[in-house]
Amino acid sequence: MEDGLSNITLTDRIKLNVGGKLFETTISTLRSGGPDSLLAALSNRQVQSSNPVFIDRDPEIFSVLLSLLRTNRLPSTSRRFTDQELSDEASYYGIESQLKSAMLPNPLSGIDASVIATIRPASDGVVSAFTTIDDGSVWIAHGGQISVYDWNLTHAGTVRTHLDSITSIRQVTPSAMAAIACDVASGIHFYNFANGRRVGSVEWTDPTDPRIYKARVTAIADSPDSVFAAFDSHHKENSVLAIDKSTLQVTSEIGRQSGNSSKSIVPGNLTYVNDLGILAANAVTSGAFGFSGYIRLWDPRSARVVWETNEPGSGRSSRFGDSFADVSIDVSEGTMCKICSKSGDLAMADLRKLSDDPWVYLRDTNPSLRNTSGGINNSIVHCYRKQVFVGRDGGLEVWSRVAQNGENNMEIAEESFRRNYMDKLEDSERGIIKKIEGGGERLFVSREEAEGLEVWQSSVFSGAVLVS
Amino acid sequence: MPPFSQSTPISNGFSLNHNKFNQTNHQPSTNAITIDVGGQLFQTTKQTLTLAGSKTLFSNLFDSCDQDNNGVPFIDRDPELFSILLSLLRTGNLPSKAKAFDIQDIIFEAKFYGINDLLVESQSNPSQFEPFDLEKSIILPLSGRDSPSAIATTPNGSLHVSHGSKITSFDWSLQKKSTTLTNFTAIDSLLALSPNIVAAGATDFSGLQILDLDLGFVRQTLNWENVTKSSSTVQAIGISPEFLFTSFESGRRNSNSIMVYDLKDDFKLVSEIARNEIFGADLDSAIPSTKLNWVPSVNLLMASGSHSGPFGVSGNIKFWDIRSGRAVWEIKENVDCFSDITVSDALLAVFKIGVNSGEVSYIDLRNLGSNNSWNCLGDTRKVNNGKKEGFGCKIESHGNQVFCGKKGELELWSEVLMGSLNNEKDRIFRKNVLGRVKDLGGNRITNVGFGGNKMFVTRKDQQCVEVWQSSGKRF
Repeated sequence: MEDGLSNITLTDRIKLNVGGKLFETTISTLRSGGPDSLLAALSNRQVQSSNPVFIDRDPEIFSVLLSLLRTNRLPSTSRRFTDQELSDEASYYGIESQLKSAMLPNPLSGIDASVIATIRPASDGVVSAFTTIDDGSVWIAHGGQISVYDWNLTHAGTVRTHLDSITSIRQVTPSAMAAIACDVASGIHFYNFANGRRVGSVEWTDPTDPRIYKARVTAIADSPDSVFAAFDSHHKENSVLAIDKSTLQVTSEIGRQSGNSSKSIVPGNLTYVNDLGILAANAVTSGAFGFSGYIRLWDPRSARVVWETNEPGSGRSSRFGDSFADVSIDVSEGTMCKICSKSGDLAMADLRKLSDDPWVYLRDTNPSLRNTSGGINNSIVHCYRKQVFVGRDGGLEVWSRVAQNGENNMEIAEESFRRNYMDKLEDSERGIIKKIEGGGERLFVSREEAEGLEVWQSSVFSGAVLVS
Repeated sequence: MPPFSQSTPISNGFSLNHNKFNQTNHQPSTNAITIDVGGQLFQTTKQTLTLAGSKTLFSNLFDSCDQDNNGVPFIDRDPELFSILLSLLRTGNLPSKAKAFDIQDIIFEAKFYGINDLLVESQSNPSQFEPFDLEKSIILPLSGRDSPSAIATTPNGSLHVSHGSKITSFDWSLQKKSTTLTNFTAIDSLLALSPNIVAAGATDFSGLQILDLDLGFVRQTLNWENVTKSSSTVQAIGISPEFLFTSFESGRRNSNSIMVYDLKDDFKLVSEIARNEIFGADLDSAIPSTKLNWVPSVNLLMASGSHSGPFGVSGNIKFWDIRSGRAVWEIKENVDCFSDITVSDALLAVFKIGVNSGEVSYIDLRNLGSNNSWNCLGDTRKVNNGKKEGFGCKIESHGNQVFCGKKGELELWSEVLMGSLNNEKDRIFRKNVLGRVKDLGGNRITNVGFGGNKMFVTRKDQQCVEVWQSSGKRF
């Protein structure tokens, strides 16, 4: 009824001739792909019922897309085509968003997830760093290359950088720019994926201090207007620099410290919590006397420390000597998790209610997981989608919240989480888990010395295996 | 259900006026109906469409759907899938060409047209269960490292499996699943009340939980308390058309009871039967019921429990009248106590596996209450052996058969009817070992369940469920 075509109503039928095959549908179905799609444009034409609209495309793939428009789900016949073909064809008709939402994985639930794919870059396949994007795509650093895999996990391109190895990578939101760094070469470098060029580099310099020279970057975080990078000089002097996104110039220096004790070494991890406007850093070292480290939260505008804890040395005395091995922050939930190095216990804290000892040590009652913490050398924790994913050497487990009678009780209590294995025993033999990170409805896991990146996803399909 | 009509000239599904195609077919007197689905024309009869039932898309097709000039209603759906569902309406079965599609497509489309029940009926019907034609056909994998502890089935063949603190539910087509996290650390008793509601209990967790698996949380917790108000663990769950039975034992293990809840009235407590408080050394009353079976034909609840002590395993089997709350009949098990027991309503007999002998025995229920003793169907000499050969065996009845899991093997017991010679004293039961050679063996069987035309089997340390069904019934 737009543009004066008052004789068209949404329930009007329209005949299409796609590649010689006749289809009949309604105007409203064609328009459900969005007002800008080719199909919506076709539906605006004057319809002569005797004369079907001719489209010179493959009819079989069109029938899949027509089913998609009718039902909002992909029929099984779509499996005859690759994801690439479908998305190419959908972008021709202008209904990409429909296809995207139909192909979206189910909400990530750790207790129901399995490895759906392992991304293996063609060369230098050992993943040294990766970063995930909200739509489920991932940027992988391997060797000196960065490879981009889109929401479909199809390879979208590779950029060769000037570095020979990349140990930190972060997307500079919302652009297609990556901030990369290496722990043996100095500086943080910005690469643009659109043209594969280096856009700029930032080094830490201090005219008053000649020791600040060729500082390396150990961690990168991203906020709406700045990029934060933790720089470490050869004399262990370290600092976090805020870099303006538009100018790529250093705007401020946060938390400069000497680095001569474990409480002042360079952070190995930086996280920006957008909701609270704080920058969190944590560092862990392990030596002959066990683990030690700190967690520190800054207000990046004033560069003031908001809260900090050192372990060993703070917290409850019964936990002395049980310093954390890894820390993760759930940015959307505003919670923080740590995993204890000795006991293997998991503790959670609310970022809004921080005190001297904010930790709630989660109790685990699953008898099949009892006594699994001994002898674990590498513990990795990652909070994502209200769940806590823990890698202990090669094993992957998930702590998920038990639903309480429909109430949305988000309080952290000792008993509110259940611990379950995500993997099977044979999965854990693929190598020590080095990094876990969630992106979209996916969980990406990289393992030490193992080629490729595992992609974990929840599915409603039972995966029933026919016995022949 | 062929859609024959009584009055009009229709036979074999053909209508005589199909050549009047271009004229208006939509006349109340003619039975043939033309529908345009996605650009393809279909002709059928009103009778066929009304088989879909009232309140479906078809029943008001001619009122609501837009019609073009010659009165043919148009449905904007896939024509190929419609032709499959039309065959389903006509014949009650899916045509073989349906196999070109995924069952999920057909289910989704059937839900759109409102004929999902018909589809389930044709694909997963308990009457299609063929005990002598069962073979291992599907393996359903479970995520994580926990082995299944209990299973629950519904009549149309959907399945709930508890493993660790989780319950994974499979729909009747076994193609879709969902997993729910519970408060339990492990679930020992699981019973499906409807496709999405289960009752779950554990021997180390207080209370029976009624869980809504669609929403993922506890609807209700049913508790029993003795005088000391200690916690109460769930030992067994049973069901009759009206009632839900739960066998509780107090946390200190000094009392036990069977509670009867009303299924129709929001699990209101109806009565309490078989309450035992333990004073002194009365061993018999200390045994809670670990299996509850409803026997519809005699309207009694069979409750059985056993106890392993220094002098061997002893137990009891009681038949309870729910209304009077009295035990009508009791069997004491001192020699070769059951390791698992079941009752078959169709055969009217109780079957057990002796814990010592490992052999199947039965008691006829047809003259209940008389001094019956077990009729051993195997080697009677093994009754007194101390090897506990029957330990860990499972026995379940379904229809006219009794299924028995002995270690890794599945046995099927059925009655041979001997014509006129069939007197009550000598009933003849014969056994078959299920499966082909390749299916034999495996880990010890921990659960056997039945739903739709399928049998479900779980094994120790296997993170999967085996589905056994007749090869011809597989989609």
